[in-house]
Amino acid sequence: MLVLGALTPLPFIASIPDLAQTRTSNRPAYTAPRTPDGKPDLQGIWEARNTAHADLQDHGGSYGILPGLGVVEGGQIPYQPWALAQKQENFKNRETADPLAKCYLAGMPRSMYLPDPFQILQTPREVVMVSEYVDTWRWIPTYGLARYDVTDSWNGDSRGHWEGDTLVVETTGFNDQTWLDHAGDFHSDQMKLVERFTRTAPDTITYEATIDDPKVFTKAWKITMPLYRRTDMPRIMENECYMYADEAGKGVHDDKPGRASPK
Amino acid sequence: MRNWFLRMMIGAALLGAFSLVWPDAVSVALAQGGPQAVKTIGGCPRDPASFRPCALIKAKTFDPPRTPDGKPDFQGFWANQENAAPWDIEPHPASFGVPGGPGDIVDPPDQKIPYTPEALAKRNDIVENHPYDDPQAHCAPAGVPRQNYTPFGLQFVQPLGSFVILYEAQHMYRIIPTDGRPHLPTTVKLWQGDSVGHWEGNTLVVDFANNNGKHWLDMAGNFDTENLHVVERFTMVDADTILYEATLTDPTIYTRPWTIALPFARNKDKNYYLLEFACREGEHDLQHYLDGDQSKNFNVDQKKGDQKK
Repeated sequence: MLVLGALTPLPFIASIPDLAQTRTSNRPAYTAPRTPDGKPDLQGIWEARNTAHADLQDHGGSYGILPGLGVVEGGQIPYQPWALAQKQENFKNRETADPLAKCYLAGMPRSMYLPDPFQILQTPREVVMVSEYVDTWRWIPTYGLARYDVTDSWNGDSRGHWEGDTLVVETTGFNDQTWLDHAGDFHSDQMKLVERFTRTAPDTITYEATIDDPKVFTKAWKITMPLYRRTDMPRIMENECYMYADEAGKGVHDDKPGRASPK
Repeated sequence: MRNWFLRMMIGAALLGAFSLVWPDAVSVALAQGGPQAVKTIGGCPRDPASFRPCALIKAKTFDPPRTPDGKPDFQGFWANQENAAPWDIEPHPASFGVPGGPGDIVDPPDQKIPYTPEALAKRNDIVENHPYDDPQAHCAPAGVPRQNYTPFGLQFVQPLGSFVILYEAQHMYRIIPTDGRPHLPTTVKLWQGDSVGHWEGNTLVVDFANNNGKHWLDMAGNFDTENLHVVERFTMVDADTILYEATLTDPTIYTRPWTIALPFARNKDKNYYLLEFACREGEHDLQHYLDGDQSKNFNVDQKKGDQKK
């Protein structure tokens, strides 16, 4: 090897990193098992195991937030100046202003990386995602169903399609009430969300979400994280957050309607 | 969607008041397109006592569409024909805020819940003293079987190995495994309980247990306990009609098992789908509705944590 190396012309040496990269991408990629209709089988109970639900960006520890590394591509959420100020205000008031403090619907994409597991089910016509958190479903037709003119919804109105081995979900029709994490990161009713679910290992889905919202951000931005299979759960359970609060006398019911992100 | 409770009550009040004053006009109006206008469903009379035997006969000769694994294909969107059971599951006349109807009980023959004397006394106390404590009005999960006659759309989805029901009302869902697994340990009590299913011919049979016993069965104070055991049967009568039956057993409050039945009619609109139902997030009608003396009762009960289960 030494001899070979000594004889190797300089341009070839310079190209070695490229060669290595090519070899990596030529390694046989993971191929997901298939459903009977030939689509990648995403079914099972999944859960993020990170601190994205607390704070999407790199962060140290604070009340209600454990330290963690961020999942935002490029590190920073590209807020417009007014929106950055709003986020900081949200952060200060997070203990009560976070919609999850009232057991409200978590919205998207936050529902996908809560500490609560969710289950994916598939048929040739649709993908269904059901969450333990406040016991809610997300129905994603993949047969080209037209949308109603849905606006002002917490979890939005989703449509899916397959791009190779990836489930791509496009969601609109949001309200401006949900947060993206407990740190007060937020969006407006103009948010357009594109999520990509790809199985990259037997018990792993790589989850990507691109958030585009011209009212709040200077450009579209993206988060990426693995979702892990809960192999220890024979069935999904329930998190009836607001009923537990009622029974514990926490009085969530008496709260005034909250605005998670004042206009 | 947020104002469903109030809208339901107002709608019922209008319907109820109108029918008391001018029953013939109501039947004419309904015949022109109201949901109650449908006199027959799947070729059977719509009142549950007549519908059930008729539907059972028709189902014997109907060969349902199949999923790829050969099971009857129930998939799509459905509307329950609830016969005013959401207001009172027993037969009842119309009154202020309550549309009259036969309810959904088909057995016992008198169509009354076979309560023990103590349980009947409790139900009557609820009617007298706590009529507004319906957990569903607090956005609690309706539970089984109430979800199936709460008047909003529902959807069946059949992935391999399970049967999924999505309910528009309160964004509830049920995953019913059909792989022969046992129930959860009996000490696990859930708002949504635990459902396991299997196929008997063309009928999906669902066994429901692990109930937390905190539900009402309707707005009239009929109730359950954590000992409730339900066997539900879903059978296609024709391509657009399902017979739903549920037998409730609970020796602590019922003297015998009793059965409800009702039709589900397919929603054939190709563009239809279920919408989000945000209840807790926007539901403040109840406070307005209860403004006045009743609201005091309501708040007192809330503070005591007295949920009248």
